[in-house]
Amino acid sequence: MLVIVTSGVFLLLHLTPGDPIDVMMAESADATVKENLRRELGLDRPLAVQYIRWMGRLLRGDLGRSIRNGEPVIENVSRRIRPSLELALLAMAISLVVAFPMGILSAVRRGTGADRVGTTFALFGICMPNFLLALLLIFLFGVTLRWLPISGYTDPLEEPLAGMRSLALPAITLGLALAAVVTRTLRSSLLEALAEDYVRTARAKGLSEWKIIRGHVLKNALIPVVTVLGLQLGTLIGGAVITEYVFALPGVGRLVVDAVFARDYPLVQGVVLLIALGFIASNLLVDVLYGWIDPRIRHR
Amino acid sequence: MTLSRRSFLAMCTGASAAPFLIDPRPAFAQQTPKKGGTLRVGFYIEAATMDPHLSGSKIDRQVYHNVYEPLVTLDVKLGIRPGLAESWQQPDNRTLIFKLRRGVRFHDGTEFNAQAAKFNFDRMKTEPKSVRKGEVASIEAVDVVDPATVKISLKRPDAALLATLTDRAGMMVSPKVIQERGAELERNARGAGTGPFEFVEWVKDDHILLKRNESYWNKQGGPYLDRVRYRPIPDDTVKLQSLQGGEIDVIDYVQPRDVAAVKADRNVVVVDVPSLADFSYQVNHARPPFNVKALRQAVACGLDIEQIVKGVWLNVGVPANGPIPPTSWAYDKTIPPIKRDLARARAKLAEGGKAGGFSFTLTTNNIPINIQEAEVMQAQLGEAGITMKIKLVDSATLLADGNSKNFDLISYQWSGRPDPDGNTYQFFKTTPGTSLNWSGISNAQIDALLDKTREASSQADRKKLFSDLTKILQDELPMIFIIHPIEPKAFSPRVQGYEPIPDGMMRFKDVWLK
Repeated sequence: MLVIVTSGVFLLLHLTPGDPIDVMMAESADATVKENLRRELGLDRPLAVQYIRWMGRLLRGDLGRSIRNGEPVIENVSRRIRPSLELALLAMAISLVVAFPMGILSAVRRGTGADRVGTTFALFGICMPNFLLALLLIFLFGVTLRWLPISGYTDPLEEPLAGMRSLALPAITLGLALAAVVTRTLRSSLLEALAEDYVRTARAKGLSEWKIIRGHVLKNALIPVVTVLGLQLGTLIGGAVITEYVFALPGVGRLVVDAVFARDYPLVQGVVLLIALGFIASNLLVDVLYGWIDPRIRHR
Repeated sequence: MTLSRRSFLAMCTGASAAPFLIDPRPAFAQQTPKKGGTLRVGFYIEAATMDPHLSGSKIDRQVYHNVYEPLVTLDVKLGIRPGLAESWQQPDNRTLIFKLRRGVRFHDGTEFNAQAAKFNFDRMKTEPKSVRKGEVASIEAVDVVDPATVKISLKRPDAALLATLTDRAGMMVSPKVIQERGAELERNARGAGTGPFEFVEWVKDDHILLKRNESYWNKQGGPYLDRVRYRPIPDDTVKLQSLQGGEIDVIDYVQPRDVAAVKADRNVVVVDVPSLADFSYQVNHARPPFNVKALRQAVACGLDIEQIVKGVWLNVGVPANGPIPPTSWAYDKTIPPIKRDLARARAKLAEGGKAGGFSFTLTTNNIPINIQEAEVMQAQLGEAGITMKIKLVDSATLLADGNSKNFDLISYQWSGRPDPDGNTYQFFKTTPGTSLNWSGISNAQIDALLDKTREASSQADRKKLFSDLTKILQDELPMIFIIHPIEPKAFSPRVQGYEPIPDGMMRFKDVWLK
């Protein structure tokens, strides 16, 4: 799969109009300098030769160097992966903290005021564009109240408090959108599970509603939720492009967008490889969780 | 402090021999400067390299003008003043002799002298990746006369060279740093400059940090700031909110759509810096339909540039009569921008054999203001019977289409150069192969005029030549000139002492924090 992804990206990128040297030297008309650079970077070679050389390096564990800043791709990517990963995990945590109580309450109290609050929140979260929510949060917490930093990144592993503060607004932005999806998924899958015969049996046995939910229903309703979370985690590892852009977070999402605009081929290829790996890892994690949630899956 | 459109226009029209400018000093310099503090600057993009000889990005220059110093500098009226050279002489039009300032040291402690200057020029001319080669192409040789004197011999007269040396081509880098650090200079400029601030660190994707040069040679005024910290904030709205929220003290550019609101905010000081820029459209002379002059003229007459500047740019700039901005001494205020004249447009269509109108494609950047401008142009040309399709592309595709001449009409936004040569020669001189002359214009009269502007030694003579050139350009139309934009910069009220120079570069030597 990785070979298909990397080959596809390589071809699509090179077929896209635009030249990295033109972008680097937009203000210069010196064709000789441009040609020298093109030769130095091997961009004058036929496409097939460039691809074979790139694959050869990849097999040796070398992702090449960024055309734009000359640094190894692996250095660029490793510098950016940490903020994206921290943001993804924090957003995921926020979404779980919000979505689980809200989804369960909506399902259990279906048709009541609590359900309406839950479904309205979910609708709002799904419909609200990320950038708009981000700007509203910035205006409220950054400009008006001045409680949280508006943009930039501090590593939470180096300065825990400042780091968490710098990630707070982007994580809330992403977390609320994700919470909306999880709330809806959890509600509908809980409602489906609540209609099962074993729930009626449990109720007939006189078990409390909370015990039924916690002990029987929730675990059975988790499969679709885990699927959604797994897919979202894969996407978030690949970078939440708009959120990172708005909050000036130096993550993978911003890196790949900048690299595409600059036609920085090796960098785009490196990041896409990383995103593909992220998806594979999160799918693997989801498969493992399926087995834990429903042992029947393990025995199939 | 702000400058109204009326004042701006008044300054423009009042600029004859002396260029117009905005003098912010009354607003900024009423109090006694004090030392200390960190100035936090927000830019839309990260710098590309710390090596001025390899730099092709405008944002790099913002940092360089605080770390490095050129041989000569610009003042607020775009006059050329001593920099690392305390004086210069031109015994003939092929020789330039610089008397260098004594007692100047690079941040690494080595001495700046004639040998260092020669080293820099030689590197700009020979380094394979040098982006400065074109700017110093007229230089034949650089000779050390004595430790404080360099003689530059030119292959051909180049009246624009002195102005070119006010920017990256004139910036002196420590030879020791280049020799010892080589390519690492691109990421680490520690010790490399002579300027009022020293490079401290560049944390990629996060910030560039400078600190005050305690041994700065110029004891008049600053540097006052302890540190300058540059941060990339790509989103314009967030960058502005970061200023309003007190997270940063300066932003390099306020979008026209935000200017009115920001000016109304008492917690922000806006300085309208008239720029050297020229925003226009290159017209492809090499293929139909615009290989026919009358059809180019039909489009020019069908457009209402004043309306575009008013409605799209919200008057954050002035309608352009040509490539030379009102900030320049060469600007000719007697030449009006091309006026909309639908009757003439229709007559030109008939003259070009397209009385029923014709269709062409405009290629432009996929960014909001360009899209708005294109839509307005589309509507205006529609009234003249001309159908304009819009092709939206990213910057890389725009450059590729321009360089390969794969366009009819294409957006071109040039940041401008202090000497009018930088806004004209490379765009309109006959140049085979890839060049910034995307229109492909090849006109003997224009070529001769451009060469004369380099040979003429008096500014008055050059101004006359540039006026003649502007008139021909309005007729031949290698470009359709739209606007000379203003570059509004916004500051926290704490920031004092900023002097706006129309090249748009923010020099912080005399800036201090209240």
